[in-house]
Amino acid sequence: MRNLLNNNDLADHRRGFSDRIWSVYWPLIVLIVCIATLGIIALWSVAGGSFTPYAERQTLRFLFGLALLFAVSAVPIRIWMTMAYPAYLAALVALIAVWQVGFEMGGAKRWINLGGFSVQSSELMKVALVLMLARYYQMLPPSKVSHPFWVGLPLVFIIIPIALVLRQPDLGTAILIASVGLTMMFLAGVSWFYWIALSIGGAISAPYIWETLRPYQKERVLTFLDPDRDPLGAGYHILQSKIALGSGGFSGRGLMQGTQSQLNFLPERHTDFLFAVFAEEAGFAGAASLLGLYLVTALVLMSMAVRCKSQFARLLASGAAIALIIYTIVNVAMVIGMLPVVGAPLPLFSYGGTSMLTTMVLIGLAMSAYLSRDEVFRR
Amino acid sequence: MKRLKKSDDGVRSGGVFTRRSLLVGLGQTAIMAGLGTRLYQLQVSDASRYRRLAEQNRIDIQMFVPTRGRILDRNGEVLAGNQEIRRLVIIPDLTNDLAHTLKLLGRIISLPQDRQRLLLRRAAKQNRRIPLLISTGLSWEETAKVNVLMPELSGVQTESGYERIYPMGADFGHLTGYVGAIERFEIDDDAALRLPGVRIGKAGVERAFNDALRGRGGHIKVEIDAKGHILRSLDKTDSIAGGDVKLSIDTRLQRRAMHRLRKEKRASVVAMDIHSGQIMIMASNPAYDPQLISSGISRDNWNKLLTEPGDPLNNRSIRGQYPPGSTFKMVTAMAALEAGVIDEVERIPCYGRYTHGGHTFKCWKSSGHRRVRLHDALRVSCDVYFYEIARRLGINALSAMARRLGFGQTFDCGLLEQKPGLIPDEDWKISRFNRGWLEGETILAGIGQGYVLATPLQLAVMAARIASGREVTPTIVKPEKPENVQLANSLGVNEKHLELVRKGMFAAVNEGGGTGSNAQLPFSEVLVAGKTGTSQISRKSSYRSNWNLKWEDRDHGLFVSYFPFKAPRYAVAAIVEHGGSGGKSAAPLARDIMTDLVALDPINRENSGPEPAPEDGQLAARRPT
Repeated sequence: MRNLLNNNDLADHRRGFSDRIWSVYWPLIVLIVCIATLGIIALWSVAGGSFTPYAERQTLRFLFGLALLFAVSAVPIRIWMTMAYPAYLAALVALIAVWQVGFEMGGAKRWINLGGFSVQSSELMKVALVLMLARYYQMLPPSKVSHPFWVGLPLVFIIIPIALVLRQPDLGTAILIASVGLTMMFLAGVSWFYWIALSIGGAISAPYIWETLRPYQKERVLTFLDPDRDPLGAGYHILQSKIALGSGGFSGRGLMQGTQSQLNFLPERHTDFLFAVFAEEAGFAGAASLLGLYLVTALVLMSMAVRCKSQFARLLASGAAIALIIYTIVNVAMVIGMLPVVGAPLPLFSYGGTSMLTTMVLIGLAMSAYLSRDEVFRR
Repeated sequence: MKRLKKSDDGVRSGGVFTRRSLLVGLGQTAIMAGLGTRLYQLQVSDASRYRRLAEQNRIDIQMFVPTRGRILDRNGEVLAGNQEIRRLVIIPDLTNDLAHTLKLLGRIISLPQDRQRLLLRRAAKQNRRIPLLISTGLSWEETAKVNVLMPELSGVQTESGYERIYPMGADFGHLTGYVGAIERFEIDDDAALRLPGVRIGKAGVERAFNDALRGRGGHIKVEIDAKGHILRSLDKTDSIAGGDVKLSIDTRLQRRAMHRLRKEKRASVVAMDIHSGQIMIMASNPAYDPQLISSGISRDNWNKLLTEPGDPLNNRSIRGQYPPGSTFKMVTAMAALEAGVIDEVERIPCYGRYTHGGHTFKCWKSSGHRRVRLHDALRVSCDVYFYEIARRLGINALSAMARRLGFGQTFDCGLLEQKPGLIPDEDWKISRFNRGWLEGETILAGIGQGYVLATPLQLAVMAARIASGREVTPTIVKPEKPENVQLANSLGVNEKHLELVRKGMFAAVNEGGGTGSNAQLPFSEVLVAGKTGTSQISRKSSYRSNWNLKWEDRDHGLFVSYFPFKAPRYAVAAIVEHGGSGGKSAAPLARDIMTDLVALDPINRENSGPEPAPEDGQLAARRPT
C-alpha cells in the first residue's frame, strides 16, 4: 500500500510538460472535437453556407480553446490547488466590478471591458467556484463535511456570486451556479439530512422567491407554463423554437434547408437557439446524437473523477462534468420548451467566445486532475 | 502512520464520492433521456402539426385594398370621393428605444409631449409587433422629412391610404350614407375585407351600392422572415378599383332644397321625373354630416346623434311614415271611379258631418260644402264626399288601388332603408289584431287617416303615376344611356278617370276656393296640379285651429303635386311635420322647390343637348398672341 502510493507520487513528479500532454485521455478530446465540429457546421448553415460571420470565428475560438485545454491540463494539479482561493476572490472582484462599472448590453449588465476584451465575469465565476469548492472539500476532513458550520460556509461561497449575478440580472447563470455548487456539495458527501431539508425548504420558500423576481423574469416563467398565452410576445421564442424542431422531423430538412432557422424566425438562432437550428436541419436523429455526445462526455468526465484519489481532483473533474451537463440540460430544455427562456448557451456548440473558453478551461482542469489522479495531498 | 490515516480519509470519502457520483451519473442519464423523449415527441410524434405551422410562418399574404368608387350627382359632381391620407406608424418591436425615437419624431413633426406619453403607455400594454398609429393627416412636407430621416427612425413606417370624403356635408348625408369599419358578419370571400382600416358602406347609397363601389381586393404572396422583411414575392393578383355610381340627384337642386328645409323644424321633400322615375331631390331635415361618422365618431357623439329628438339619422323621405291625409283622396277617387261607385256628375251632400253606424265623422269644414261633385270635392278637399265613396267602395278595393299607385311597398330604387308604409285591408286587420274589419275604418281610410301610412317617396310616386298614367318606379341612379330607357307600363286604368282626378288636382291649386292655392308658381306660364293634406296625429286637434296646440300635437302638413299641368315632367311631395294645415305649410314649401325646378329644369336642359363648352383650341385661338 505504502509502496504503491510512493511509486505513484514519484511517477507523477517525474512527468514533464509534454509527457502530461501526450497522456491526456484522448477519447474525451475526440468527443469534444465532435461536439464543436457539429456546432461549427450548424453555424456555417445558419449563415447560409458561409464561414463568415460565425463558423470561421467559432473555429478559431475552438482551436484556441483546445490549446488552452492542453495548457491547463499540462499544469500540475497542485498549482491549480494553490490558485483556487485567489481565483475565487478575483472572480468575485470582477463580478462586483461589473456591478459598479459594467456597461449594458442587451438589457443586462454582464460585461466588463478588460483592455478592449469583453469578459463576461460570471463565466469566470463558473470556473472559480468549481475550483473553490474542490479546494474547500480537499481541506475539510470527511468527518466535518456534514457539520452545520462547514455546510453553511460553502453555501455562502455559492450564494454571494449568485446574489451578484442576479443583480445584473442574469437568472440563467444564477441557476447554473447554484446547481453546479449544490451538486458538488452533494458529491462531497454532505449528509442526506440537508438535502431533504433543502427540498422541503425550497418548496416552502418558492412563493417568496417568486416575489423577488423581476417582471420580465416572471413573464418568462408564466409564458413557459403556457406559451400560447402570448405567442408573438414573450412566448415567441418558445413557440418558434418548437415549430423549428417539429419542422425538422426525424431525419431533418438538411443543411441550410431549415425554413424556420434560415428565414430568421428563430431568435438568437446562432447563440442560445442554435440547437433548434441543428435539430431542424439534422432532425431528431442528429439532435438525439448530439445529446448522446454530451451525455457520454459528461459520464466520461465522471468516470475520470471516480478514478482520482484526492478529493480536490475528484471534485474538480466531477465539477467540470456537472457544469457541462447542467448547461446542456438547461439550454436544451429551454429550446424544447421544458424550461423558461433564460440566457444559457449550449457549451462548445453555441456561438460565443467566453462560454467556449470557460468550458475548455473546466475540461482542462478535469484533465489535469485526471493526469494527477494518483496524487494525494496534505490537508 | 500519519500517512495511513490520511489515505484512510481518502478511501472513506472516496467510497462516498463513488456512490454519489453513480447517483449523479444516473440522474444525468435520466434527465437527458427525458429531454430526448420530449425531443422525439416534438420532432417525430407531433411533427406534422409543427410542419404546417412552419409553412404559415414562411408565406405571408399581403392585401391590396381597392380604391372605393365615387358617388357622383347627375352632372358628375362628386358627392363621395377619396382623399389620400398618409399615416405614420411605429412598430415598437423594431425600434431600439421607443421613447427616444418618438422624441426624434417630435422634432420634425408636431407630436406633443402628452401624445408621446400616451403612445408609450399604449405600447407598454399591447403586443410589441402591432403597429402603433402615430399620426394620420401628415402633410407632404412632413412625410418627406420623415422619409429622409427614416434610417435613424428605426421602426417608423409611413403608410398611405385613402379616406372617404363627403364634400357636400349634411346636404347629401341621407343619400350617400357613410362608410364604417366592417363587422364580422359582413366579411365575405374577398379577403381584403379582413384588413384593418377597410371601410364598408353602412347606410344610403354607400350601403346599397357597396358591391359596385368597393371593387375587388388584390393580394401578393410573399416569403418573409420573422422580422417581416420580404424576401421574394411568389404570386400576385392586382386589385380592381370600385366603379363610380352616378346618382339622378341634381346637386344644385338638392342643396337649395336642403337650404329651404332648414326653415322648417322637421320636413322632407322628394322630387322626381314622372317619366323615368329619376329622383332629382330627396331632402330630409334634420340631417347629419356623413363625414363626421365615417372619419370615426366617438361613442358619445354617436349616441347623441341616435337620441337627438329630431332623429337626424332618419331619412324621412323614405323612412318617415305619415298618415297621408287628404293627399290620399286621389286614391279613393280613382278607386271609386274605376269601381263605378261614383261618376263625375253625382253630387254628394256635405253638412259638415257624416254619420255611420252610430259614429259621427266630421268634415274639416264644419259648416259643410253643400252638394259636391268629384271635381269640387278634390278642389275643396271635402271629407264627407270621400267618406261616402270609400264606404261604397269597401277597404279591399281601396287598398288595391293604393298599391297600384305605389303605396304599401318599397321600391328597388337604390336605397335600402325604405319603410313600406301601411295600406290596411281585411286580411291585415285579422292577422294584426285578430279582429274583423269595421266599415268605420274604411271611412277613415278614405281620407288617408286611420291605419293608412305613407312615405314622402310613395306620395311622389303616386303623383307621378297619376300624371303619367304609367307604373313609374322611382330610382336614385341615373341610367348610363337615358335614350335606351323604356317608359314604364301603363297603369291599366281608364284614362278618362285619370283626367278627372288630374283636373281636380289642378283645381285645388288654381281655381277659386282651392286648398292648394299657396302652391301657385310665380310664373304664370307654368301651372301646377296638386293636393294638400293635413294629417291628424292627435285627437286633440280634430280640425280645430292648430295654433293653440303644443308643437308636437299639431297636424302634419302635406302637399303632393306635379307640373307643368299640360305636359307633366316633375312630381313633388312635401311634408312638414307638425306644420299644421298642408295648404299653409307644405304647399309653400313645395312651391319653392318647384320654382327651383322650373328655373334649373335639369331634364329639359339635358334633352336639348349639352351646352357647347368652349374647347381649349378655341380659347387659345381667341387669345392674342
